[in-house]
Amino acid sequence: MSDARSDILARIRHASACLPEAEVKLALSRLGAGPSATLPHPDLAIAFLTNVLKNQGTVDIASSRSEAVVVIGKYLYEHHRSRKLVAGNDARLAALPWRDAGLLPRFGEAESGELAALSYAVAGIAETGSIVTCTGRNNPAANNLLPEDHIVIVALDDLVERYDEALDALQSQRPRGINVISGPSGTADIAMHMVHGAHGPRRWHVVLLGHVPADCVEHAQALAGLANERQAEPLPDA
Amino acid sequence: MTISSNDFIAQSVVALQEAERLRTRKELGKHMPALRTRAVEEFGDFEGLREHVANVRQHALDNLDYYLPQFEQQAIDNGNQVHYARTGAELNDLVLSICQRHNARKIAKGKSMVTEETELNHHLERAGLEVVETDLGEYIIQQAGETPSHIVGPALHKPEAEIRELFLDKHPLGPRELEDPPAMVEEARSVLREHFLSADVGIVGANALIAENGYSLLVTNEGNGDLCANLPNILIVCTTMERVLPRARDAAALVRLLTRSTTGQSISCYTSYYSGPRRQDDIDGPLETHYVLLDNKRSDILASDYKDMLQCMRCGACLNHCPVYIGAGGHAYGSVYQGPMGSVLTPLLSSLEESHTLPSACTTCGRCAEVCPANIPLPDLLRDLRHDESRSKLGSGRWRVSMKLHAWVSQHPRLYQLLTGLGVRTLHRMGRRRGGFSRLPFASGWTQERDFPAPQKDTFMHQYRKQAAQDE
Ligand code: SF4
Repeated sequence: MSDARSDILARIRHASACLPEAEVKLALSRLGAGPSATLPHPDLAIAFLTNVLKNQGTVDIASSRSEAVVVIGKYLYEHHRSRKLVAGNDARLAALPWRDAGLLPRFGEAESGELAALSYAVAGIAETGSIVTCTGRNNPAANNLLPEDHIVIVALDDLVERYDEALDALQSQRPRGINVISGPSGTADIAMHMVHGAHGPRRWHVVLLGHVPADCVEHAQALAGLANERQAEPLPDA
Repeated sequence: MTISSNDFIAQSVVALQEAERLRTRKELGKHMPALRTRAVEEFGDFEGLREHVANVRQHALDNLDYYLPQFEQQAIDNGNQVHYARTGAELNDLVLSICQRHNARKIAKGKSMVTEETELNHHLERAGLEVVETDLGEYIIQQAGETPSHIVGPALHKPEAEIRELFLDKHPLGPRELEDPPAMVEEARSVLREHFLSADVGIVGANALIAENGYSLLVTNEGNGDLCANLPNILIVCTTMERVLPRARDAAALVRLLTRSTTGQSISCYTSYYSGPRRQDDIDGPLETHYVLLDNKRSDILASDYKDMLQCMRCGACLNHCPVYIGAGGHAYGSVYQGPMGSVLTPLLSSLEESHTLPSACTTCGRCAEVCPANIPLPDLLRDLRHDESRSKLGSGRWRVSMKLHAWVSQHPRLYQLLTGLGVRTLHRMGRRRGGFSRLPFASGWTQERDFPAPQKDTFMHQYRKQAAQDE
């Protein structure tokens, strides 16, 4: 009796055109990449932030690394009254001026019950409002999945327009896993009610790091159809 | 694959009488199409996308003899073990033997239609393993001992109150309220978290296999699939060979199309690509990874006139848009695949003998083909299956005789016009006063839900002729 593999492959060959490799490759190269989604705004940063908001994420912008740690500290305090944070062994995360915000993350793999994890994305995708991380020391998959809150820094320079661009860029690195994340974990399996925090994070917070106009968040909120939440909050100094 | 599809009519009669569930389905039939429509409009060139993906998948299927071995080689280079299964039973045995080799006791499972098809859980449980479904919908029906009613939302038939009762009954957590869906999700989250952390093996499906780099694509909103794929020491990906796509960018195009068609999202919360076991200096990920690729008649379908069906990406749009599915509900189909896609796939994966009522569970309204992201001509395939059915003389005797009679009458125009004229005039006279009928002989099922409008005085042909005569 022949084995399953050769049996199945023989059946497939029987049903296929069995073209020479060069012809297959030529036909494939003609297929292109296909259309991507219309961006909500021509500016990549605004488009990205808009789509993050539409994906039920929250956003902050930071023009410097020191500002980034400050907004992260503020976020942690607001949601958890805590300074606890876990982050992967990513040199870019280790190099942040943590003392400016009085924070010192634990570097390593997140455990169950952890309040918040921080990732430094390898890319942000404007088309879909997603961030991309790769598994490994820099960002173990558990850090994306186990904590209550997932905070992600994306550098402005790492934004790409299209989803497939982000994947193509990783082709040469070939990490074990590529995680494209687009919102907090969600489920509608109970009577079609959307609930966040199904298995993974309940909240997903994206910090865009780079020189972007200060009003870009307001812009994104308007485009995402959200009320201007920032102005609703009392100003800290008032 | 155990099916009970030939009881479709009896099962749908039962479903139509379950008032609350019917209401839930009608809600689904409005809500899901609305979400999809909005997403399609926002996308831009959605037709272009649909055509592009259909072309890519057509190319991949036409050249599967090239792409499947390419995928296999890449996957092996990435450190995976690749297995093939001709039948569901072979897949089940392969998975069990991997689990047994590692003395596994607990298995955390992501949503996988393929393993529903092969009834893997039963097989593993019979061998003494504990299998935990981790997709919330799958978990609910596993706890309830039911089968999925929708390929995407397997527990959507269950009203909130039933799920509350189920959790109160199954989770030994003392008296509590579980007042709303967030409270129920919270409870399931904490119960399932323990399972993720203690599972020996993770089993997931794949939305695509990428030939150029040997990665598999996993799309979820809950993140359960990623937990299964990353936490346990052993990972088994169970899927079928027609999932192969040539390039990573093709997987991206597929996601664009799939998630908009499924839930109206521009992308799912988690779309992940996994290559294989953990690397030398990795600190996370499975130590050993396997692909089990199932055929189960797919190579026959590939060689048949039903080849287009292999383009199905399991989005569920055809179910959400199908009046028969909304009315009859998923369980009536007696199969893990329901709705229009199920009515085509079930006979092809089992046999027409066991499921010949399904191709007739169709009003030929064509909505499924309109929305199918894979451009599958579902109504045509259903019609072809009905041809096959009639050729193999599978329908009931009464049905076949009436179809023959109908065919004979339609081939005799004079007789046809005489009879239809007679019928129309009689109905017109009888229903003139009320404008319709609340009850009709031989059609009581139809008139139970609505009135049958009284026809106009004459048939179309009669009026047409009269008009033509006047015009002259
Ligand atoms: S047949 Fe088309 S619409 Fe139905 S599930 Fe498959 S891809 Fe979706």
